[in-house]
Amino acid sequence: MLDYIKQWLAQRRGGAVGNHDPENLPTPKTVSDQPLTRCRLIVLDLETTGLNASKDEVIAIGAVAIEGGVIHLNDQFDLILRRPELDIRETVLIHGIGPEALTQGHETEDALLYLLEWMNGDPILAYHSAFDQKFLEKTLKAQLGYTIPHVWMDVAELLPAIFPKAETKGRSLDHWADFFKLEVSERHHAAADALVTAELTLMALNRAQKNGVKNLKELAEKLHYQRRLQNMHRY
Amino acid sequence: MAAANQDTSRPQNTRAIMTFLREHAPFSSMDDTHLAHFAEHATLRFYADEDVVLSPDDGVVKRFYIVKQGRIRGERHNEKEDRAETTFEISQGECFPLAALIGERPTRTLHRASGDTFCLSIEQKAFITLFSESEPFRDFCLRGVSSLLDQVNQRIQSKAMASIGSSNSLDTPLERYALRNPIVCSPDLPVRKAVARMHENNVGSIIITDDNRHPKGIFTLRDLRTMIAEERGPLDTPIRQVMTADPCCLPSTADAFEAAMLMAEHHFAHLCVVDEENHLIGVVSERDLFSLQRVDLVNLARTIGTATHLRTLVSLRTDVSRLVDSMLAHGADSGQVVKIITTLNDVTVRRVLELNLKKNDPGIPFTWLTFGSEGRQEQTLLTDQDNGILFETPEGMTEDQVREKLLPFARKVNDELAECGFTLCKGNIMASNPKLCLSDREWDDWFVRFIDASTPQNLVYSSIFLDMRSVFGPTEPLHRLLEKVLDRIRKNALFQKMLAGNALQRKPPLTMFRNFRYLNDEKKHSLDLKRQGLAPFVESVRVFALAHGVEAANTLERMDALSRKGVFDAKDANAWKEAYSLIQAIRMRAHQEMLDRGEELTNYIDPDDLNPLDRRILRESFRQAQRLQQKLEVTYQL
Repeated sequence: MLDYIKQWLAQRRGGAVGNHDPENLPTPKTVSDQPLTRCRLIVLDLETTGLNASKDEVIAIGAVAIEGGVIHLNDQFDLILRRPELDIRETVLIHGIGPEALTQGHETEDALLYLLEWMNGDPILAYHSAFDQKFLEKTLKAQLGYTIPHVWMDVAELLPAIFPKAETKGRSLDHWADFFKLEVSERHHAAADALVTAELTLMALNRAQKNGVKNLKELAEKLHYQRRLQNMHRY
Repeated sequence: MAAANQDTSRPQNTRAIMTFLREHAPFSSMDDTHLAHFAEHATLRFYADEDVVLSPDDGVVKRFYIVKQGRIRGERHNEKEDRAETTFEISQGECFPLAALIGERPTRTLHRASGDTFCLSIEQKAFITLFSESEPFRDFCLRGVSSLLDQVNQRIQSKAMASIGSSNSLDTPLERYALRNPIVCSPDLPVRKAVARMHENNVGSIIITDDNRHPKGIFTLRDLRTMIAEERGPLDTPIRQVMTADPCCLPSTADAFEAAMLMAEHHFAHLCVVDEENHLIGVVSERDLFSLQRVDLVNLARTIGTATHLRTLVSLRTDVSRLVDSMLAHGADSGQVVKIITTLNDVTVRRVLELNLKKNDPGIPFTWLTFGSEGRQEQTLLTDQDNGILFETPEGMTEDQVREKLLPFARKVNDELAECGFTLCKGNIMASNPKLCLSDREWDDWFVRFIDASTPQNLVYSSIFLDMRSVFGPTEPLHRLLEKVLDRIRKNALFQKMLAGNALQRKPPLTMFRNFRYLNDEKKHSLDLKRQGLAPFVESVRVFALAHGVEAANTLERMDALSRKGVFDAKDANAWKEAYSLIQAIRMRAHQEMLDRGEELTNYIDPDDLNPLDRRILRESFRQAQRLQQKLEVTYQL
């Protein structure tokens, strides 16, 4: 059992247990002109204790990676954090793993280091990304003093930009998932939400490429243009 | 506890994929560790509507896919018509491309997404790991997708085997039966010596052959009994005077089913088996065929065929139902079972006619016709009377005078058939209807009007009158009539087009998304297997058959004939025959279950009551019906 967990952890972090190099964390990448068919994107979802970034805390991080237009299920991140303020034990609880894992004593710092290493500086996508970005950046700064910004992209913005005619019944992740008849295995589970967000992203990337969008730069420009268009309508 | 622990130790998304896999074969019978191996090594891919998923140009297949959501269709290029044809569809939970992956070759079919589709996929390496470690997975892959049909048959049969314990299939060719070296004699041998030879060899029959070993006659113990009882002559009479001449012969390649049908139809217990040059090579008896099976088809047919009272015939109908039960249990295919029902029905009809002729012969030769499903030899236990009379007007009589004599007779026969369980036809399509008791000339006129002046209304009758067969009386008059009718239809493109349009009225019950389309709100979950499932096949095939001069009325035989004539691609014809037979089989099993529960027979079923495999097969069968209808649309540009 122990071996299995070790292996499992190693797979997720791409490094040995408890051995990080905070000085040599991957540098966040900029919006590049690497083709969409080749780049790696992180699709992330956080569960928090509330909506107020100055007060509330992150409890769980779920993320999957899209690489070459495909979701690789052996390249995912599924952690529940137990913060000292929320739990007596200052540990990182890998979701569902029993007492053996607890005795390993993974701390929040460790978990965040794993995350940074695993993300490898790649662009991060999330549904209503401003929320996740605020929480993650706050946590990274407070725990690790880490302040280098990643590139973020909002899937909530991406979807209507790519599927302007989709008549969803609302703007939430659930509405989009319903519209495309996607199944969410366990709603409000960070990893499950991240996977659905990633599935929607795959659909959007597929369509975007057919509309001539070749790389992330062009996609970002499209979103930028969309935002301006919307702002114009607003006034 | 350990198992639960292990399960929760897996990431949420891995667990979710395992849950998905567990709902589908073969994953449902695989171990959790293997499912986890799959889930952890999988990638999730998205294909928009019409995206190519796999192409023959991609080279050797390196991945194994399972549809998580949506559909994939296989596309084949039809060179004749220069357009893409759908050859198969793969829906949620189904895997591809098995044959190419195992054969380490490129796929032969273009795989294209139909609607938004997500597939889980593993690389060849993970596939090989699963293949070598998981037995259910290996079995599934090796047996391939076509084995689904085997699985159904196996399941039906294994159930039956458990209770009956027989393995003799009716498909077995006669040459595989232990053909006893036949006891033979020459035509001039006295009966006394022939019987002595039978006695020495302990057999019940002797074949009389000429010098070239061609069978000339057969003599059985029963013939001996009749000869003595009726004092037909002394025992030194040459056997040729008392034998049954021209015995029934079948080639050794014929199967047991054909032999049984022939015996049932003619009520004899022995058949000669001959080679290509008609040399006698053996004898098959009823006992040989059925020694291992308790299916007493021949005996039942004989009992019906020699019954002396109507009430005996009525009581024998329950035996027919029991026989069907037993046939289905033996794994006889639905085509065989409907033929058996039809044969027994024919025997009953003939016997009712014979008994009435004995009592009250109208004195005019006639041919008794059947229409519709009985005409097609596709009757199940739920059956209506659809019959008519064809007569040749004797010299010096008018047609109305003939009718005056035949109609009361026909009325009596219709009523007695009703007593035997053949429901009176609500539409009065019965021989006692003056409009359907016609001379050859009148029938011909009738068809001229039907074909040349057809309206959408009278096309409703096409499913009845264009599937016609004689059950009793001379067959030649019907043959002559049919030739004229077929010729007329072949030359009348407009009529064909109208028939085709009519055949497209009934669509297979599938929605655009390949789910079942239910009848209506009242019958929320029911499908009408006859009208929605079988009718699209029967009606489309009829149009092609009539347009190409196929005289057979049986749908399967029509498809065979159309395939031989090159109208249907052989592979298509096979797929359609199989699909048609499977719907029929599911329908008959449902009937049998309704009988067991003492319910009234209907053609409605709720697909939710079927097991997942049958459901999938039913869906695929309906899709084949759609393909056949598409062919009709293209041919007649509808």
